[in-house]
Amino acid sequence: MIEIKNVSKSYIKGKKSVDSLTLDIKNGEIFGFLGPNGAGKTTTIRMITGILNMDEGDILIDGKSIKQNPLEAKKNFGFVPDSPDMFLKLKGIEYLTFMADVYDIPKDKRKEKIEELTKKFEIYNELNNEIQSYSHGMRQKIVICGALLSEPKNWILDEPMTGLDPKSSFDLKEMMREHAKAGKTVFFSTHVLEVAEKLCDRVGIINKGKLVFVGTFDEMKQKFKEEASLEKLFLEITEKSENN
Amino acid sequence: MKKVVELTKIFLKNSFADMNMKMGISSTKSKIVSNLIYAILLVYFAGIILFLSYNIIDGLKIIHQETTFIGMILFMVLGISVIQTIFSSINILYFTKDNEYLLPLPLKPYQIILARTNVMLIAEYVIIFLIGLIPLILYGILTGAGVLFYITMVLAVILMPILPILLISILVMLIMSFARLTKNKNKFQLIASLILIVIIIGVSLSTSNMKDDMSNEEMAQMVVQANGMIELVKGYFPTLDYLVEALTSNSITTAIIEILKTVGITILGFIIYMAIAQKIYFKGLVGNLFGGGAKKSNKKINQKEYTDGKLYKSYIGKEFKILIRNPVFLMQCLLPAILIPILMIVMVFIGINSEEAGMDQLIQELNNMQTNSFIIICIILGVLQFFTMFIYISITAISRDGENAVFIKYIPVPLYKQFIYKIMPNIIMNIVTIIITLGVAQYILHLPIITLILLFVVATIIGILQSILMLIVDLKRPKLNWDSEYAVVKQNFNLVFPVLLSMINIAIIIVLAIWLGNTNVYIGLIIFGILFGVLTLIANRYLKKNQYNLVEKII
Ligand SMILES: Nc1ncnc2c1ncn2[C@@H]1O[C@H](COP(=O)(O)OP(=O)(O)OP(=O)(O)O)[C@@H](O)[C@H]1O
Ligand SMILES: [Mg+2]
Repeated sequence: MIEIKNVSKSYIKGKKSVDSLTLDIKNGEIFGFLGPNGAGKTTTIRMITGILNMDEGDILIDGKSIKQNPLEAKKNFGFVPDSPDMFLKLKGIEYLTFMADVYDIPKDKRKEKIEELTKKFEIYNELNNEIQSYSHGMRQKIVICGALLSEPKNWILDEPMTGLDPKSSFDLKEMMREHAKAGKTVFFSTHVLEVAEKLCDRVGIINKGKLVFVGTFDEMKQKFKEEASLEKLFLEITEKSENN
Repeated sequence: MKKVVELTKIFLKNSFADMNMKMGISSTKSKIVSNLIYAILLVYFAGIILFLSYNIIDGLKIIHQETTFIGMILFMVLGISVIQTIFSSINILYFTKDNEYLLPLPLKPYQIILARTNVMLIAEYVIIFLIGLIPLILYGILTGAGVLFYITMVLAVILMPILPILLISILVMLIMSFARLTKNKNKFQLIASLILIVIIIGVSLSTSNMKDDMSNEEMAQMVVQANGMIELVKGYFPTLDYLVEALTSNSITTAIIEILKTVGITILGFIIYMAIAQKIYFKGLVGNLFGGGAKKSNKKINQKEYTDGKLYKSYIGKEFKILIRNPVFLMQCLLPAILIPILMIVMVFIGINSEEAGMDQLIQELNNMQTNSFIIICIILGVLQFFTMFIYISITAISRDGENAVFIKYIPVPLYKQFIYKIMPNIIMNIVTIIITLGVAQYILHLPIITLILLFVVATIIGILQSILMLIVDLKRPKLNWDSEYAVVKQNFNLVFPVLLSMINIAIIIVLAIWLGNTNVYIGLIIFGILFGVLTLIANRYLKKNQYNLVEKII
């Protein structure tokens, strides 16, 4: 469960990149965070994960404040950043065992978990190679594996679908569904409306730092029809998604 | 030719002109500050060079060997060109990002090679002018030389480095084009660069050993003979011989002839260089960019990989892996810790071999002298500061991770702990330098074991202090948006901070040396230990207390 409470952030004084954002993501839910480029999605995710300090408000992850109790809060989520170019000089297996050490995963369990995840994503056979030799999609996959090793209760992903082929994208969506079914939380940002439509229990739309809508996808479509300004935003997002 | 000039300009711009921008210095105010710091360092070094030169010339004058000085300086220019080229040619020729964009352009191979060579030359002239021209100008003034001397001097300093640079570059190209053929390219390149360095050290060692073959009589004659030194040195490079001749002769015709000879040989060398380079440079380059990649290794995962390590082990291991597997980081951050003291050892051995009589005398004198004295300890500590300032591990600890640096902020490991893991490689390499240096010192000075241990402890404390302070600098001014690793270790203003810190440490050591004078060694060492220990504790406390504020720049 992720509770975002009246959070604001400005990189430059006077220009709020996220403006009084309040949002609850419940257990067992897949939540899609939508918005055009520069809307504040990454900024929000950076604040949830403790990368960025917020100017106002607070964020709780399973009841632990990222502000007051960062270490405990960080144990409660797995994070997949928007750029998967991490630790390129490490071998896949070295990266994963390193992550296992970071999240304190016992020996017998880590082997099982690493094999399960990497086999699912079909990168098991690449684990002995440096991540540098991986394609963009494969890098994305190994980072996802790293984030899921500790079986976190909350799963936070920034633009996870970019660069994945249809099969991997399908697998990832399946994993998100499984994750949610087990009563855990998935929070991800995306441009692709289609993904949001098929996958998300609820979506939120952010534009210029302000949350303009929260609800189910059907509710969103309904609302778009009613409000002309939202319709325009909708077009903006869909246009972007076609470029992907 | 126009294209070559244009290319050179572009390469230079990429590595120098917009350096300020790349360093993240944007405002004019910080530009002024950074220029000021550069200027101060420049004056500082110029001052040291002047001071040393003055003393040497003065000493030589007494025994009427002042012309030896010219040979010494030119020899140093040569040596520095060689060392600089070893470190920079691999990077400039092979590991720059723009190679990727360059290859598809309609440029002739020789144009690119020429431009790259120009960049290497220009980059090296900065230091060479500092080390070559300043002492020679002083020499000119002290010996009352005429205009001819100054003109010849400038020409000599310009001409001297060219041949060694070409020679080393060819060696590098040969190794790189050979690397293309091997399966595990990355590892080979690493090993090859190491071998190259070892070969060069070996050659200089063996050439100095050759002098052992000289009969004692010859040797004695040499030492006695005025300017005997130059004769020894000349054998290495023919142009050195000509240039020394040009600078020491009083006749215009001799000077002109010798300079012309040098120009001729340099041009000849250049033609050979271009011929070889055109054949092999691009092959190696293309191989380097697109060939092979990491070797496809065994698919079966070694079961050992799964063992759960302690976090500190795998974290520090990760840092080391990234440092070692990245050729640029390896060359600029890790290797200097080993190479610089080793070069020193080589120099000591050369000294012993070439001037046996002098060395014997020196050792005898040292034996008579009280080596276990506070002043000697201060000198060793000061020398160590010079060696360790080239270890760029801590100062790039955050920047090396680039955009991935945020990683430290979202994993559930206390930041302070991660800071300590990140500086451990710096501390470890510092200790390596200290051990090598103390080993050599012990060989010459035969210090009591307690002194040695205390010295080791004090040096290590200073190393820890340096590591912590440099990490704080990198945290406060991280350079995360780089596109090639080279930018982190070269076009990074932060790199003046290790130099500054070493200068400050040396100043502290000098002040204490003067102030405490003839104190007992042990008391002196304990005072050092306490002083730097307290400073280290303060720095450590600052790091721990401000761990959350310090990472604010990392996004
Ligand atoms: N490091 C930064 N410094 C200054 N401003 C920033 C920084 N990062 C983001 N911004 C600004 O904050 C706003 C929100 O950016 P953010 O990266 O959160 O957008 P986003 O929704 O993730 O966009 P995208 O779809 O392109 O990923 C933008 O106006 C951007 O210019
Ligand atoms: Mg984003």
